[in-house]
Amino acid sequence: MAEEFNTDSMLSMFLYESGQLLEKLEGIILEKQDAECFDDADINEIFRCMHTIKGSSGVLMYENLTKVSHKLEDVFYYLRESHPENVPHLELVEKVLAVSDFINGELDKIKNGDTPDGDESQLVKDLDEFLSRIKGEIKKQGIRLPKANKKEEPTQFYVAPVASEDSRFYKIVIHYRNDTQMSNIRAYSATYALKEVAEDLLYTPEDILSNEASADTILAEGFYMLLQTKSSKEEILELIDSSEAEHIDFEELNATQYGKALAELGREDVPVVINLDEEKKADKSSEQAPMPGDYVVKTKETGKGKTLAKNQPKQQIISVNVEKMDALMDLIGELVIAEATVLQNPDLKVPGLDLTNFYKAAAQLSKNTTELQDVIMSMRMMPLTNTFQKMKRIVFDVSRKLGKDIELEVIGENTEVDKNIIEHITDPLMHLVRNSVDHGIEDNPDARTANGKPAKGKITLEAKNEGGKVYISVKDDGKGLNKEKLYQKALSKGLIENKPITEYKEKEIFRFITLPGFSTKEEVTEYSGRGVGMDVVVKNIQSIGGRLDIESVENEGSEMTLVIPLTLAIINGIVVQVGNSPFVIETASIKQFVRMGEESLIQEPSGEEYIVLRGECYPFIRLSEKYDLPGAVSKIEDGIVVVLEHEGEQICILIDKLLQEQEIVVKPIPSYVKKVRGLSGCTQLGDGSIALILDIAGLILDEERR
Amino acid sequence: MAEELIEELVEEDSQTGKFMTFQTGKEYFGISISYVNEIIVMQPITAIPEVDDYIKGLINLRGKIIPVIDVRVRFKMEPTEYTDRTCIIVINVKSTVLGLIVERIAEVDTILDDDIVPPPALGKKDNEQRKYVYGLARTGDTVKLLLDPDKLIRQDALEAIEDIQEKEQS
Repeated sequence: MAEEFNTDSMLSMFLYESGQLLEKLEGIILEKQDAECFDDADINEIFRCMHTIKGSSGVLMYENLTKVSHKLEDVFYYLRESHPENVPHLELVEKVLAVSDFINGELDKIKNGDTPDGDESQLVKDLDEFLSRIKGEIKKQGIRLPKANKKEEPTQFYVAPVASEDSRFYKIVIHYRNDTQMSNIRAYSATYALKEVAEDLLYTPEDILSNEASADTILAEGFYMLLQTKSSKEEILELIDSSEAEHIDFEELNATQYGKALAELGREDVPVVINLDEEKKADKSSEQAPMPGDYVVKTKETGKGKTLAKNQPKQQIISVNVEKMDALMDLIGELVIAEATVLQNPDLKVPGLDLTNFYKAAAQLSKNTTELQDVIMSMRMMPLTNTFQKMKRIVFDVSRKLGKDIELEVIGENTEVDKNIIEHITDPLMHLVRNSVDHGIEDNPDARTANGKPAKGKITLEAKNEGGKVYISVKDDGKGLNKEKLYQKALSKGLIENKPITEYKEKEIFRFITLPGFSTKEEVTEYSGRGVGMDVVVKNIQSIGGRLDIESVENEGSEMTLVIPLTLAIINGIVVQVGNSPFVIETASIKQFVRMGEESLIQEPSGEEYIVLRGECYPFIRLSEKYDLPGAVSKIEDGIVVVLEHEGEQICILIDKLLQEQEIVVKPIPSYVKKVRGLSGCTQLGDGSIALILDIAGLILDEERR
Repeated sequence: MAEELIEELVEEDSQTGKFMTFQTGKEYFGISISYVNEIIVMQPITAIPEVDDYIKGLINLRGKIIPVIDVRVRFKMEPTEYTDRTCIIVINVKSTVLGLIVERIAEVDTILDDDIVPPPALGKKDNEQRKYVYGLARTGDTVKLLLDPDKLIRQDALEAIEDIQEKEQS
């Protein structure tokens, strides 16, 4: 049935939602990893996560996901209902993580368009075994294999036992919250779940899958179901995924009422199904007592609803398609440029114009656009919480596998960074954390105590926001970097010039570890160096305009700090002119502008030039020569020398003149044009023309290579 | 749904066999109209350093930045001054959008498949522009060289490799 209509939107919803649930799940697990056991709220939460994943993967017919999540749901169902003691907590944690990994892996496959074909049988078996074990510990007699949870339902939960009747009839109306997306799919998953227990199920609107407009109907009028089943109200509520439901009207009917309701829905053949005999019985039972379920029950009054209401206040967050965000971002970029076009319009330069009012209005406009820009920026900002969560997981995994006792301290996980940047730093950060656990912290606790440190290792993950940059540091109190060893190794691999160690600064020596080829095969363990060396970390960080700082004291620990820009999209730049071409230089990398004479220029026989400025010697690049630009000044005194700095290295370039200062919306150079070294992108200037953005890091690198 | 399909088919139909023709030097060239986004007048171009000479630079097409290449230079002909007849044909080849600078636009011609003959293999190597021509078509009293845009925009590095492979094969 699911194949009959476009599953794309359903799929992306499923992926998004399941991903979120798994993150939440891991969050809970890792928070409680060291606790004695999960408390009720956690168990409920995990149960609910698994339940939802089970439901939606069932709809999409991912059988292995359904089975695995179902099993884990069983386990937690048991935990919730029976409150067993002596549950091996750590083992449970591992089991949950294993399931979460499995589902994550399958989700990745789905994302890549592959079929999720992972084999779930081992996991299911493990969980079965685990479940029967914890059960066995309590009821010593007879280990039974667990059955599906609905059959495990303890009988005392039947609130309204109808002694003589097997089948019961319900009218269920689910009202979803107004902002619920794809309520038709949710409704379908509810019917899908109910099919397991239903003897007869009728719902309206009927075309929930084939007609997307039915979602609106469901939102407006609720999703109406008539159900004939043997299950109790609680069991049914359990099956219906109520995570998005505002409330559920639940009414138990007797057979006559049910027949009537069916007839109302337009199924005329139905009354035939109910035979007289049944009707009589039903009449009898309805005479006995008013049905306890015969009034509207809000989910709030059921156990499940209570926690829902407590934990999830009214949804304040909407999810927006990234493409829409990017489009908005682009538009605002255009707006910034358009604003510059108006405010710097050459028509304004006519002498004798009284522009007082214009400039007043212009100031207001500028203020608003700046604010607008800030808002859209903040919309793209995401806290690092999720990224740090992953790190917690890694520390947990790796330290356990390596048998190291490590405590992880997380500071400033609420620091916000542009979403694009987060995507770029996750892998490098993961690598740094792994390195710290694997290589940083000593293998042997005795080695630590001998140095007067506590036996338990400590890794601190810290993020802070300072001066338009974000600092993310991974700090361990392990053995630190041994300069002598680093030097020897780099030397033996021929990565550095043969100079005595004393000629290298401390920072330079630490930086050896980021050289390509420094990490060796012997060092590769399961967790560090999976083909990704520190050089890749540095390269990734540099690609987003960041850098890696390394600090270390032997036997006290190391600290690796990623320094990254807050955002990539809009930078402050200075527009300069060389020949006929405008270039943009990021303001942050400009040290100073100076006018100089021929006498400060040193020319080497090889043709390389240097500038001496206040006793310091800097490499000197004439952009006009480097890029073969006609019409540029050739005499140094006619132009302006710009001193640029990147990561502590400085370089001078010669430009013709300064044009203006402007906020620059960075656009990539079309991929058709192959990458030019020293250029990082292009942008549109106020007059609509295009300027190229100079990449200082690239320029310096280029100069060093020569 | 069905209507949309029909519309699409009609549109497809109206595009097949139509060629945008333009003149460069003495010769007329044609490019299938299905690749053509639009035709714009000459724009200020920002040159990019260190690229092949036929890539003239970047233009700003209503906020989108696209590269432009000079067809004359691409064919290894002497470049000429740009005049007010010089145009940029914006084409989209496999979602690469770029502009072709051509001397002057001629017209949109209907050329049937039957009228297209493959270019003569002789003298292939000594005529640069032939590399990008996949067929010749006679309409009226002129012969039009039909261009394969895919090859036209292909970078030289790739081309060089292909050339070598070709030589090895022959």
